[in-house]
Amino acid sequence: MMKLNIFHRTDPGRYEIFKQQQDLVHSLGMKTSIFLHYFDLFQDHIVADALAYQEEFGDEIGLALNRLEGPGMDDISRGLEHIWLFDEEQKRQLMEMALSKFKAVFGRMPTAVTSYHFDSSALRILKEIVPEVEGLVGGCFEEGVRVFHGCNHSWYLFNEGMPWGPWFPAKGHTLRPAADEQDWSGVVAVPHLARDMSLSYEGRNDFWASHPPNVIRGMGNDASFCPYDLNLIDQYRMQADFNGHTYYNTFVGTQWLTWNHNSEYPPEVSWDLYTKQLTYFKELKDQGELDDLTLTEYALWHKENRPMAEPEVYLAKEMLYQSHKHYFWHIDPDLRVLIDANQGGSIGDLRAYIGRVEKATGPDTPSRENGAYPYLIQSQYRTGYPNHSFDGSRTTLKLVKNGQEVDLCTTPTKVESIERSSAGSRVVLSPAQIVFPDGGTVEVVTTYAIEPGGKITLTRSLSGDTEDILATEYFKGAPGCTEYPIDLHGIQLQVTDAEATQEMDYLYRRRRLEAERPECVVAIVPQVNSRVMMAPAKGAQPASGLAREGNLFEPYFVLELTYDTNTSTEFSTCLIITA
Amino acid sequence: MSDHHRVTKRCPVCFSRDIDVLLTSRDGIWACVKCSFNGTEAEIRGMYRDIQKKYHGMIERYTLDDQRKL
Ligand SMILES: [Zn+2]
Repeated sequence: MMKLNIFHRTDPGRYEIFKQQQDLVHSLGMKTSIFLHYFDLFQDHIVADALAYQEEFGDEIGLALNRLEGPGMDDISRGLEHIWLFDEEQKRQLMEMALSKFKAVFGRMPTAVTSYHFDSSALRILKEIVPEVEGLVGGCFEEGVRVFHGCNHSWYLFNEGMPWGPWFPAKGHTLRPAADEQDWSGVVAVPHLARDMSLSYEGRNDFWASHPPNVIRGMGNDASFCPYDLNLIDQYRMQADFNGHTYYNTFVGTQWLTWNHNSEYPPEVSWDLYTKQLTYFKELKDQGELDDLTLTEYALWHKENRPMAEPEVYLAKEMLYQSHKHYFWHIDPDLRVLIDANQGGSIGDLRAYIGRVEKATGPDTPSRENGAYPYLIQSQYRTGYPNHSFDGSRTTLKLVKNGQEVDLCTTPTKVESIERSSAGSRVVLSPAQIVFPDGGTVEVVTTYAIEPGGKITLTRSLSGDTEDILATEYFKGAPGCTEYPIDLHGIQLQVTDAEATQEMDYLYRRRRLEAERPECVVAIVPQVNSRVMMAPAKGAQPASGLAREGNLFEPYFVLELTYDTNTSTEFSTCLIITA
Repeated sequence: MSDHHRVTKRCPVCFSRDIDVLLTSRDGIWACVKCSFNGTEAEIRGMYRDIQKKYHGMIERYTLDDQRKL
């Protein structure tokens, strides 16, 4: 069963379009959540219409904190539309102004509020003013560097590293799922749109989303023909196979349904595609496959039915380019992990939520505009598999035979099976076929088990011409929030064997620590409050281990454990990330 | 103004780098402020078609069952 939210925002300048959107949804027998801005609250006809929609169709009336204009507000906001980019004092002034007006107009506080992002101080202040808020549109999945570039470096919304589906935001960092009641901010957040979980990792997240006019912006349509819009809905429906439920929403602003600079088509085309999307929701609803709710209804359902800290997964299968690549995503309160099956099962993105990095945005914070949860691995921004120079952040398995190395990233695999429960997720990849220059072939089956507590167990099972192969589990990381490196001073590397622990501080000198028969290799990364440890699982015995620093042309750290396949052709490695 | 003139166009060169930049028009030639691209509407429309050639799946409907097997 898919849970659906349909969101609309009022717009005095394009009010007829808003009304047409409302009429369209209602004609299909569904309901919406409508979000009024502060300035809308001064318009009697908008308020009257909203109340009529609520009465007749069961729509919800919520507050939009997206545009911060209107009587008394302009002198504070001075053209800035984004609540998370103000300092705390102004966040409070703006929210108090909007919320007290909302209460004066409707005689109650809103229980649903929207913005593109709520940082931790904005959400804390909101909750202080309105304890009754239940549902929040709280972030745009993987919106950041790419959309900043895409809008000619002018769109300052950086909130990467967040959940793709509804979540219980933590107090210290609202993009991190809360670990428990104590850690929880008290609302249920939903993402602003459902995104394509392949393409929003590879490129702009805005084009490939549950928003037909944005797909037009990405040129993914041929006039009014755009099966992609429906394909994406079905990809989200498929996730119920693993999680037991799935969530979707659509949130098309009025500006997208008229002439606009993001489309080379007349408005009929965006209306057509928006109508087709909504009509498909209606068909699914008629088949009993979809339930349309208001945001508050969804938030209450989520609180009732979704246990806090429950791991969720997403299996993405790329469709638009017909690469049919598989990406596997796992999220729990301690880790968000992306496994790139097409690169042999390399980790392409890793967020160590277990470090509980705290963050607020605003000019009064060191993070300023960047609200992202920092990564430890991001292979798109930070090179990943090497092209001309060094590789960048990623994981892989390297096999060496007679001095010839094959990197598992060069062998595509698919996700063969997924199991998910409260205890975590287990993924088996299809066999990777490796061919050495001498013609020898090795098949590698990779299994991942990801458990809450920051524990990833990686098992490799080799068959074929496995004699005299050295197999190296390889982790290359670097903390960061954008595509540029940050200062790595403060990182500490360790290698431990039965005798002792060797240590060194990161000084950009490309030095290495090595040990035979290691017990573990470790990087302590204060930038993300995390300790990354690679250790053999019970029963496995690596022949050697290494920890290495980089330099300013290769600003990463490397951890390795090397197994001798003459000892065993199956070995398991624990990647344990702790605070 | 006729509807035809309300259609804006983005630079096909910048767009192929995933950047949205609006073209400006002068004497039937559209030009980009960010890069050196300039061309006629017909050329621009053709370049959009070229950009879309990479979307092999653009016309493909993948149902839920199709996707489970993909
Ligand atoms: Zn250009």
